[in-house]
Order: sequence, then C-alpha cells, then structure tokens
Amino acid sequence: MKRFLNKFTLLTLTGLLLLGCADLEERPVGILAPESLFRTSQDVRTAIFGAYGWMATERLYGRQFVTALLLRGDMADIGDRGTPAERQQVNDFNMDDNNNMVNVFWPYWYQVISAANAAIAGAESLNLPENEINPLIAEARFIRAFSYYHLVQVFGDVPYLDRFISDPNLVKDIAKTPAATIYQNIIADLEYGKQWLPDKQPSDVRSRATKGTAASYLASVHLTLADYQKAYNEAKFVIDNKDRFGYGLVDDFQTLFRAPQPANLREHVFAIDFLGLQSGSGGANDDIMPPMTGVRGGDAPRSGWSVAVPSMAVYNTWDSRDYRKEVSMEDSLLIGGKLQPYTVFPNTKRPHIAKYSRYAGNSNAEGRYSDHNYAAMRYAEVLLIAAEALGEVSGANAEAVGYVNQVRARARNWAGRQTNFPEAVAPGMSKEAFINLVLEERRLELAFEYKRWYDIKRRKLGEQVFKGPNSLEPHPNFDPNRDYLMPLPRVELQVNPNLGPQNPGY
Amino acid sequence: MKKHLHSKHGILFTLMRVTFFQLLCIGFLSAMSYAHTSPAQELLNRDVTLKVSNVTLSEALDRIESSAQVRFAYSRDLIRLSQPVAVTAQREPLSSVLDKLLIPLKIDYRVVNNQILLSKSKKLSIATPALLDNRLPERVMPLEVAIRGTVTGADNTEPLPGVSVVVKGTSQGTTTDASGNYQLTVPGPSSVLVFSFVGYLSQEVTVGNRQQVNVRLEADVKALNEVVVVGYGTVKKSDLTGSVSSVGSEELTAYPALGTVQALQGRAAGVQIQANNGEPGANFKVRIRGGTSINASSDPIYVVDGFVGGAIPPPEDIESLEVLKDASATAIYGSRGANGVIMITTKRGKSGKPRIDFNTSFSAQNEINRLDLLNAEQFGAYIKEARPNYVSAGANTDWQDEIFRTGGIQNHQLSISGGSDAVNYYLSGALYDQTGIILNSGFKRFSITSNVEVKASNRLRIGLNLFAQRNEKEQAFTQEGSGGLTPGVVASAFKFEPDQPIRDPQTGRFTVARLNDPHDNPYAVATELKNEQLSDRIQGNLFAEYDILEGLKFRTTLGATTNSGRFGYFAPTSLNEGRIVGGRASVNGSKSTQLLNENYLTYSRTIGDIHDFSVMGGYSYQTSSSENWGGTGQSFITDAVSYWNLGGSSVWQSPTSGLTEWQLGSYYGRINYSLLDRYLFTANIRRDGSSNFSRNHKWATFPSGAFAWKMSNEPFMQNFEAISQWKWRVSYGLTGNQAIEPYQTLARFSNVFTIIDGVPVNAVRPTTVANDDLTWETTAQFDVGADISLFNNRINLVLDYYRMVTRDLLFSVQLPQYSGYATQLQNIGSVENKGFELTVNTRNTTGALKWNTDINFSLNRNKVLRLPGGTELQYSAAPGHLVGLGNTHILREGYPVGSFFGWTYEGVYQQGDGFLPGGGFEQAAGGEKFRDTNGDGTLNSNDRTIIGNPNPDFIWGLNNEFSWKGFDLNLFFQGSQGNDILSYTLMELNLLSGINNATTAALNRWTPTNTNTDVPRAFAGRTRRVSTRWIYDGSYVRLKNLAVGYNLPASVTRKLGMTKLRVYASAQNILTLTQYEGYDPEVNYASEGATNSNRNLGLDYGSYPNAKSYTIGLNIGF
Repeated sequence: MKRFLNKFTLLTLTGLLLLGCADLEERPVGILAPESLFRTSQDVRTAIFGAYGWMATERLYGRQFVTALLLRGDMADIGDRGTPAERQQVNDFNMDDNNNMVNVFWPYWYQVISAANAAIAGAESLNLPENEINPLIAEARFIRAFSYYHLVQVFGDVPYLDRFISDPNLVKDIAKTPAATIYQNIIADLEYGKQWLPDKQPSDVRSRATKGTAASYLASVHLTLADYQKAYNEAKFVIDNKDRFGYGLVDDFQTLFRAPQPANLREHVFAIDFLGLQSGSGGANDDIMPPMTGVRGGDAPRSGWSVAVPSMAVYNTWDSRDYRKEVSMEDSLLIGGKLQPYTVFPNTKRPHIAKYSRYAGNSNAEGRYSDHNYAAMRYAEVLLIAAEALGEVSGANAEAVGYVNQVRARARNWAGRQTNFPEAVAPGMSKEAFINLVLEERRLELAFEYKRWYDIKRRKLGEQVFKGPNSLEPHPNFDPNRDYLMPLPRVELQVNPNLGPQNPGY
Repeated sequence: MKKHLHSKHGILFTLMRVTFFQLLCIGFLSAMSYAHTSPAQELLNRDVTLKVSNVTLSEALDRIESSAQVRFAYSRDLIRLSQPVAVTAQREPLSSVLDKLLIPLKIDYRVVNNQILLSKSKKLSIATPALLDNRLPERVMPLEVAIRGTVTGADNTEPLPGVSVVVKGTSQGTTTDASGNYQLTVPGPSSVLVFSFVGYLSQEVTVGNRQQVNVRLEADVKALNEVVVVGYGTVKKSDLTGSVSSVGSEELTAYPALGTVQALQGRAAGVQIQANNGEPGANFKVRIRGGTSINASSDPIYVVDGFVGGAIPPPEDIESLEVLKDASATAIYGSRGANGVIMITTKRGKSGKPRIDFNTSFSAQNEINRLDLLNAEQFGAYIKEARPNYVSAGANTDWQDEIFRTGGIQNHQLSISGGSDAVNYYLSGALYDQTGIILNSGFKRFSITSNVEVKASNRLRIGLNLFAQRNEKEQAFTQEGSGGLTPGVVASAFKFEPDQPIRDPQTGRFTVARLNDPHDNPYAVATELKNEQLSDRIQGNLFAEYDILEGLKFRTTLGATTNSGRFGYFAPTSLNEGRIVGGRASVNGSKSTQLLNENYLTYSRTIGDIHDFSVMGGYSYQTSSSENWGGTGQSFITDAVSYWNLGGSSVWQSPTSGLTEWQLGSYYGRINYSLLDRYLFTANIRRDGSSNFSRNHKWATFPSGAFAWKMSNEPFMQNFEAISQWKWRVSYGLTGNQAIEPYQTLARFSNVFTIIDGVPVNAVRPTTVANDDLTWETTAQFDVGADISLFNNRINLVLDYYRMVTRDLLFSVQLPQYSGYATQLQNIGSVENKGFELTVNTRNTTGALKWNTDINFSLNRNKVLRLPGGTELQYSAAPGHLVGLGNTHILREGYPVGSFFGWTYEGVYQQGDGFLPGGGFEQAAGGEKFRDTNGDGTLNSNDRTIIGNPNPDFIWGLNNEFSWKGFDLNLFFQGSQGNDILSYTLMELNLLSGINNATTAALNRWTPTNTNTDVPRAFAGRTRRVSTRWIYDGSYVRLKNLAVGYNLPASVTRKLGMTKLRVYASAQNILTLTQYEGYDPEVNYASEGATNSNRNLGLDYGSYPNAKSYTIGLNIGF
C-alpha cells in the first residue's frame, strides 16, 4: 500500500506540474491589439490611412455608393435590365428599406467614421504638442466630416458618433441626430480642419486632406444648406489661395479621366486613390466603375456590363461641339475588331459613360481594379460653387460669370486644338437664368461624377427633372415626399428601434 | 490483498493467480487496453495432446498451458489446485479437453483476452434444485439410458465439435466429436442435458423417451464479453448507464464509402449525417441529437483510440465505432462533449498466425438525377418575352450532358495482423480512388495504419499507433460563395444559355453568358479551372499502461498529429477570370499540429460479489497550432505553368500568412458502482480550461450522473422467460461547446489595403470589439432510456428520450452597424433539443435462412427558447451573387434554428386584380403576388414570416440482412421525413427574369393566353425574394445499399489456401422516393464555407450531385 501511495503521489504531482504549465493566456501573433497600437503619431496616421483606404473600396467609391448616387440622378439610367433588381429600384424610385445597395454601403461609411474616431482617440492619448498632433486630428475630423457629408445628404437624420466606440452596447439605444445638427458638426470638423490641416500634404498628394480640401468642402456644405454667402466666402478663400494649395484646372479635360493620374494632379482637391490590379480584403482598392459603365460585348479592354448607361436624351441634348461630351460619353466602340456605333452595341444600344472605362489604365480586361484617382472634389467644382453662391448673393456679376468662363475656357481645348464651344458667358443675365446656367454647367462639367443627385436634391429639382416636359430620364412615380431620402437599412432599425421612425414613405 | 497474489513467469507464458474478485477486473481492464477480445473459438479449437493421470489439477493445467500455448487465470481461494485429476486426449480440441477435465470438478471456464478464466460453476452452487438432483442417484436407482445425437449451429447447420454435453446436476458429461456427434449415458428419461459451447447460448433439453437428441445451438449474439468503448475506458454493454450506439466494422464497410463518416449514415439512432455536397472528398454534416448550437460548430468530436481530434481512419481499419450521446457518456469530454462524441477503435492484431485480409471493390457511378431544363428553342421563346431584343445564338446544347460522365471508385485494402503473447501487430494499407461524375473531378486517399502492442513485462504494456494518410482532391468548382466571375460547374450547367455552343465558332473561344454577367460556360469551368488540394496527415499515438497494484492501473498516452496541406488554384486565360488579368494563380499552404497528453488511473474492485466499483481519474493537456501562408499572382507569360510559377507573374498580390494557437487543460474523473449487478451508478466530472475564452471565464466544470437498473436481474423477473434483458437508464449532466476560433474574445484592428501617393502603405481600422465575458456554451441534458432484449435476444430494443437545453449560445450578434462594427461574438439565449430514439434489432429467422433486421428511428425537435430581450435575429445564408436577397433566415423564440424567413407566395396577379402597393413589388398581370401578411395594405419587409423549417420530423434507417448457405443479401434504406428545403437553385432558374435558363416549369409561365398558372410571366425587373415559392418538402426514402454476396464454402477456400473468400455485387443510391423538385433532396449548400453551422440547413444550390454506384467486390482472408 505504501508503495502504491508513493507512486500515486508521484504521478499526481507530475500531473499537476504538467498542468501547471498549461498556459491558457492568448498571445496572438499577427493580430493588432488596440491597446498597444497607438504609440507614436505614425500609428495615428496608420489609422487615418485605414479610413482613406476604406473609402477606396467596392462598397463606397469603387462601386456601390457611387453607383447608387449615379443611378438616382437623371444622367444615368439602368442599361442592362438583367442587372440585379436592387439597382433598378434605386434608379426607378422603387426601393424598399431592405435595398441591398444601402445595406452594403451604410456600414462602410460608419466603419470609415470608426477608423477616424479611433485615430482621434489614439492621437489624444499620446499627449504630444498640439502643432504635432492637431494636424492629424484635423485630418481624421475631415474624414469624419466627409463621411457624414454623404450620409446626411442621402439619408437625412442618421445616428451621429463622434468618439471611438470600444463597447457597442453603449450606443445601441441612441436615437438619430437631426440633419441640421449633423451639418453643424460637419462644419465644426471642417473648420477645425481648415485651421489645423497643412496647406499641402507630403508629396502634395491629393488623396489626403489639406486646408484647401477642408475649405472646399465647407463651401460645398454651405451651398447645400443654401447659406450662399458662406459658401462663396469659402470658395473664394480656396480660389484666392489656389497657388498656395497648388490648385488649378488641368489643360485637357481628358487628363482627369485618363488613368493613372498623378497623385498630385493640380485640379484634384480631394481624390480617392486606386492602384491598378491590386486589391485587399473587404473590397479594398477594388474599383468596378469601369465595367459597371462599360459596354457589354465591347472588345477588351473596354468591355463592361452596361449597368449604368445614360438615357438617349442625355446624349441627344448635349451639344456635340462640347469636348466634354466627347470625353464623357462613348458612342462607338470596337466590337469584334470593328468600330461599331452604339446603335449596334450588343446589349444596350445607347451611348455609354466613358469617363471611367475609356482609360482605366493598368486594370483587368474589363477595366476593373483600375488605376484611377477619382476626384471627389476638383477645382472646377470649387469655381462653380463660387459662381453659384456669388450668383445667389450678388447676381450674375462679372466675377461670378468669370468663374464659369474659366471652366468653359478649358473645355474649349479639344485635346490641344482650340475650339469656340462652349462660348464664354456674358455678364448681365438674370440671376435665375444664371443660377440655371451654373446648374447646367455643373451637370455637364461634372457629368457622371456623382454630383447630380445632390444638386437635384438640394435644389429640389425632382419634379422638374423626372416629371417635367424636358426630363432626360422620366420617372412619373417620383415622389418628392419620399424620394429625396433613402431608407435607413431595415436591419439597423431592428437592432435599435430607437432609430425610428423610418424615413417617410418606406 | 497482496498475499493472495501468486505469479509464475515464463518466457512466453504467464500464470496469474488472482482472487475471484479480480476476475471481473481483469476482464474489464484487459478489455480496456485491447478494446476487443480475440475470438475465443480459435483458442479453444487448438489441438491438445495430453495424457495425465493422478496428477494435481495445478500440474494438469501447467501441461495444458505448454501444450496449447494458453494461459489460465483463477483464484486460488476458489479453485482447489491440489485435487487429483486424470485426463487423456489425442489431438483433441482444447475445449473438449477442458470439458473433460473441469466439468466434473464443477469449474466453469471462459476465454477473456487469450486467457482462460476459471471459476466455480455458478450453476451448481446457486441452483439449489440441482444439488437435490445430485443426490437423486443415491436414493433411486434409475434406468440408465444411452443417448446419442448431433449438435449443429442453428445458423448454418454445420456440425459443432467440442460442445460440452452434461447431464444437469451431475458430473456426467462428454463433448461432441469433430462431426458434432456425442454419445452419453444418462440416468433416466427425466434427465436434462445441458449443451454449452463458447460463443453459443446454452440449451437444456429433457431427454424423455428418446434415444437420439439432436440440438441446434443459437449463436450468442450478445456475447458476455461484448464491451463498448467509452471515454477513458470500456464497459460491458450490459453495464452501460449512458446512451451509446455501437456500429461494427461490417456495417461500416458494407459499401465503398468516401470515408467513415459517410459509412455511418443511417446506422445509428440519433445520428444525422448529411452530404454537404456529392463532391469526391467532400465533408459531411454530422448532428447527434440535433444542433445544439447556432453559430459555433455542432459537429461531434472524434476520439480515435483515445486521441481527441485524431485523424479518422478509413472504414476498413476500424474495429468498432461508438456514438456517445447522453451527458452521462459525453460529460467526461467536458467542454467538447455537447455535440456528442464519436469513439473510433482501430483494428488490433490478435495472437496467432499472421492473418492476411484483402478487400477490393470497383464501382461505376452516375449522377443521381438531372433537372429538366428548357432546350434552346423553348429558352429562346421565354427570353424573348422578357427581353424582346434577344436573338438566339443558334446552338442547342444540353450542358448537363457536357459536364457529367460516368465516374468510378476503386477501393482496396490489404492488412496483415497477428501476434504472440508479447507482441501484437496490425498493419494495413488502404487506397480509395474516385473519379468524379463531373469532368476533371476526383479524389484519392491513401493511408497506412500500424498498430503494435508490446507486453514489455508482466505489468507494463506499451503500444504505438501510427497513421499516415495522403488525400488528393481535384475539385470541380461548386459551392460558389459569392459573385465571382467563375460560376460553379453544376449551377452553371443548369442556368447557362442552351442556345450557345461550347466554343464560339468565330473566335474558337469558350462562350460566355450573354444575358447575365458574362460568366464562363460550365464546360469551360469544368475543364479549364484548376482547383486542387493535397493534404498529408501523420499521426502517432503512444500509450503505456502499468499495473501498479491489482485493480489499479495507470495509463498515459502521448499523441501527436500533424496535417499539412496545399491548395492550388489557377484560372487560365481561356476562362473569363483569367483572361481579363492574363491568368490568375494562387497557392496556399497550411500546417497544423496537435499534441495531446492524457494520464489517468483506473482502480476497480469487487467486494463480496455484491459491490462492484471502479474509479478513474486523470488529467490531460492539449495544444494546437495552425499556420497558413499563401500568395497570388496575375498575368503570366503562359497558361502552362499553372500555379507553379507565381514568380513568373507580372502582377503580384499581397501575400497572406497567419498563426493561431490554442491550449486546453483538463482534469477528469469517473466513478462506476454496481450493486448486486442490478443497480448501476455512474458519476463523471471534468474541469476544462481553454485559452479560447475570455480571461474571466477560462475554466468551467462539467458534471454528470447516471443510474441504471437491470430490472431483468431482479428475482421477481426470473419467471419471465421471454425477457432476456431489461435495463432502465436515466442520466443528467452538463457538457460544453467551445468550438470557436481562437482570439475571438480580443479586440483587434485589421489591415486595410490603402494607397497613398500611388503606393500601398500600412493602414488599419478597428474591426472587432473585445468580449471579456465570452464563455462556453453549456448543454444540460436529461436522458431516460431502456435496453430490452426479448426471446433469447431475438429482439433487442433500445429506447431513449432526451431533452437538452443549451444556454449561453455563442452567436455573432448583429451590432448596430453605425458603431463601426458588424457583429460581436456573444453568449446569448438558449436552444432546446428534445427527442426520441429507437433502435430495434431482430433476428427474424434463424434457420438455414437467416434474416436480421436493424431499424433505427430518431425524432428531434429543435426550438429557440430564449433570445436576449426576446428580440429576434435575422441573418442571411445565400450565395453572394444572388444579390438583393437580403436576410433569408430568422431566429425567433419558440421556433427552430434555421427557420426560413420570407414572403408568402400567392400565385400570379391576373388582369383586373387590385395590385398591392409596395416598393420593388410587381404591379402587373402575370406578376408575382405576395400576401399582405400584416394586413396594412402595402407590401414590404414587414410581411415576411417564418415559411419553412429545415429540421426533419424524423429520420430513420432500415437494414435487412439475409443469409442462406453461403449467400447473403443486404438491403439498406435510409430516409428523412418532413424537412423543408429552400432551393436557391430553383429560385435562380425559375425567377423568370430573363437572365438564364429555367426548368421546364417555365413552359407553364403566365402569358395573356395562359393565365391559369402559378408560374409568373417572364419579366426582366423581378426581385429575388425568399418566399414560399422556393420552399419544398425535402422528405425522401433512399435505397442506400443493395448488396448480394457469396461466401465460398470452407471446403473450397481451404483448398485455395484461404480462410475466407467472399464475392459481392452491390448498388448504392439506386432508388430515391421524394417529392422534391430539385435534383436531389440530400444536398446541403455550404453558404460562406460554414458547412458546420446550423445556420444553413436545408439549402440547395448547385451542389455536386450525389452519385448512384454499381459495385463489385471481393473479400479474401488468408
């Protein structure tokens, strides 16, 4: 028995020893833990870059979000009706609150905001001098403002978060913030940006925000809110300081849509940078706009899917002497080795959008994973904001007209050959006519650049452009009480019923 | 105690003398180490030549030991060794010699693990009337009668040599000779002859006035020694307190199966096995008593020769398989036991001459079914209705014809086994080579198994199990998860436009879809895409078992398994996906290693023939490490290099790598106590600590207890002749589920691919929030059951009712997305599974024609009991390219997990109908009409309800085996009743939105002239909606196996130098009865790769079809 006990004790002890070594702590290698992430300002920048990178995804500027904006407007219609119904419904003002385009881009905007808020929290935790850290906070706040700028225009009231969330339970019951408050917060972020952001970022890249970017977006926000004096002031600030910020119009309109664009293209006030033929997880760096707008059945590298295609009226009403029409649209293409007019395009017999697919640069044979740097804001738009805002404040005076004429003058450069169209605008027209002229100028200059829907919305043009006699893309069911806002994703209201009520009509 | 222990050591032979109380322990413990006893018959048939007279019993036994190379074990207290005996035998079977020697001494013998245990004959000592009979001859001088007769086996009427024939209550007796004949003188007509033979049920016959008494002995199907493997030990089947199903090697090898898991289908009550996909090498979804979990795995754990998580060997190398179901059986595996445990015991060598077995089979296979699709002309007419501009491409291709072919399986296994007293060995090699029924698909498995056990000393046994396996899988691409450019071969064969040829006649290139996204045609995908997997598994499992004291054993095991794999993918420029990037290739490698050390002590003791108890306790430590790495390249000079020259690509994609590790430390223990062999108690406990859980919840304890009552052993039951065994069981306990990935409790940031200044830079974003409270799912399980054997074991019933409640379910809870996060793994709510299981084995006829029937029936009801705050949770499990579908499933209190969620389809609108308003809903004659469920006058998401339940009402298996002379016939049916299927395949085909082909149901679509239909018109703008239109009854009955075999008679095989020669022909899946309109009810789409999740039950989308097979095979033994 004694021997037995000895052995038993020995075995048990050995066992306990072995088990004592059992180490149940997790020490993951290759996983980034938040508590140890922010040690230097470089780490803050890493989170800021994460937010930028998340904008350049299939869900936002690579496809879903911008396609929704594009289709919602009157410049692009559904081409191939075989495309998923969710897109047709966004285009046709027939969407429900389960629309999958919304379902996929909504969370991404908030993930961008989350990254920005994380960067801000990280920056504040470093206790660095303000001249070192405030520019980074300003950059993150710009990203936050940029995200809400889109959310508030698309959805109206939305939940507003301005701090990093480490426990989602803390915010699971919050209500929506009124759009007016969100606009004030956007303005506050942008003003902070205008104060602290540098004039230029390293290498003068335009995919990072600068003082000029913040001011340009301030101009746009004020324009949206019809606060024309402030919009003019901000636009004027940018124009007056264009050399300091390195802004100007590029000579050839096509340059803007010929990938790869240089990272410091002078017309870019804020650019979304895609790199050709590369992609990351979660749809990062995946630009699908070239095939979404390209011609179904066209020869590589210009083939695409004919999803978002202008209606014939867009093409027919656009003066063919306008070089911008040539750059913006494709009315003939190589098919089976032969140049074919749009009337025999295999799938959708209409001219197609050319801005994305014609020169996608280093990309796959459909133009996907393009090398484009997309202008989210370019200097021409700043000029047109200045023109519109000043027109509202002071009428079509020489200064206001002059801004439009700068844009038109560049358009007369037909790939190096000077034309006389579009001709310069003469001062002295009525305010209303001038405002209409600027809006038309925006429609053509910024055609297919996701601006048109916001113009229709802020100017309440829906009844006119979708139901009026001159409608480019008639939608008799357009309902101004419903269709200026998209529905919040239904799943969000299920998780947090306090987000109700849903936007009217859904 | 020690003083009772006498041992005598020889080089080969050992004589152990132990107390009577320990006899049971020996049986128990040796069975534990060997798991299965060798056939006693072989041992008892050994020839013995012996002539002794007037020697002690002790000496006689010694002589027999050396002559027959056997060992005896007995208690000196009970067997009087000094008594004088005499016995003479000339080349007689051992059994005959023992009968002559021992029966007169009132000593019983039986074989346990190559040892012959001697005990006092209970029959004589217990049965008092026998004692009276014994004295009868002294009082009355009866007439002596000479009796003769023949003893044969009841099953085959072959003569049985060596059967003991004893006059009841006397020492008079004899044994049958080689022809099964005997001759005996009995005291008179009232004499009762007792015929007994190892492996057969004893039979008593009253002589009467006969002079010839012929007897046919029934084989004892429930041999006394039948043991089942349970966690950390074995137990006699009759002593089981828990719910355990056993499946034998014959059932597992009844037909060529992809693997052991497939072979288990329909074989055990409470076990549901579903093909995820008919693809060669595909996995199966295994559910024991339903799905306990929602998000975490509900797969059982596999314990192979004691190795938790060990590699599952091919069916041919398996001796037995046990399914542990109730908490009493599974709680010893604690945090991993909630989904049941499958214990696998591989074959071992048996003492004796080397035995060679060769099994081989060849099968031809075809797809089980096809869909009736539109031909080119019908297709063209339909498409034109949706898209008037459409012009036919002019061809007429049956794409199913183009991708299917006759496949086949070759399955071969060769094993050599044998051993001596000191060493046993089992060596086996198996090859399974399947050519898939889709072009370019196939699976090859090659494995070797080596089991060696060494008796290093009288007390120490050491064994090593080595297993190595290579799997090669060439996959036909199916189960596409999202809207990539390459469609799955099967889905594409259904939907691809039939008016297109394989190749464009002008360019010579493969055609692509013209209507929908320009996908490749199925032939191109099947023949051009490379999608190959290779994996190597090497496993070693070493054990040592030491007898510390009588009844006390220590066992330690050290197992290591490593699995390395390579996955290669290449889309050449002949495919769309490759063409647009100049070829795309990726190679991913992985390696995982697991180490497991188990140490436990077992102590068994019997006190006074009344109390029988055993105690087991131990600890284990397991670690796992998995690493992976991979690279992708695009744009190659040539397609010829496949994925073997990533360096030659001109566009490199970011490489990947990762490492995950986990540890599990555990203590466990068990007490078994048996009182009077009637009342059995079992208590288990395990305490597990897992690294996967949050720092607040690393450790948890899982107890269970069981009680069984062998009612049939009660005195009051002795008069019920019909009842051979009747046992009640009841158990309750807690088990856990920790099947989540490591690091899920930790907050983390993830990399974002970001471009600044035209180059990629480091960037991150927050992706996961921490959960410091994440812990195990705990399942509380109650089980009550009965094991009943009737009419001499002719009918055996096992019944069980159970109720399991799983709480703290691990679920990826949808977070408010404005928080910046998508989901968080949390412990939420609870789910109930309750059900009833029935297993019936009957031996219907036992004569020349033998007919056995096995039925198993399982009924399970799954229900969500509670969700946090009562809120329902919606989720989606659908192919990603079916965009716009939204959420397809819902979790709602009171309803089963996996409930389908959608609209109620009410047929089509007719001219003049009032149209319900609603964004995205059709408002035209011929359009899909849905029910305004909530009656608010508009159609929207609020009109969705639960529209289907993928869980079956019940599942069953029915196996019939017939044998007559050397012939045998097996019929195995399997079925599932009342399960709903949500068919994404039919949704995609019959949406009728003019983007792909449809089934012939489209011929009945609504048109202004064909209005009496529920198939809507062709319409290009139709939204995909989950609705009752796509929910089908998935019930089926399937003839899984039909086999006819012939065993050549022993006289023939002996001439051929063989011990066994069986030829057979069989067919699998040749008959299916179902109402399902899809092509196979037994499919299961693996959405997002999560094949083990209960979230995607009953989904059908373009799965690789199951095959019907025709097989011929040969089993040879030498």
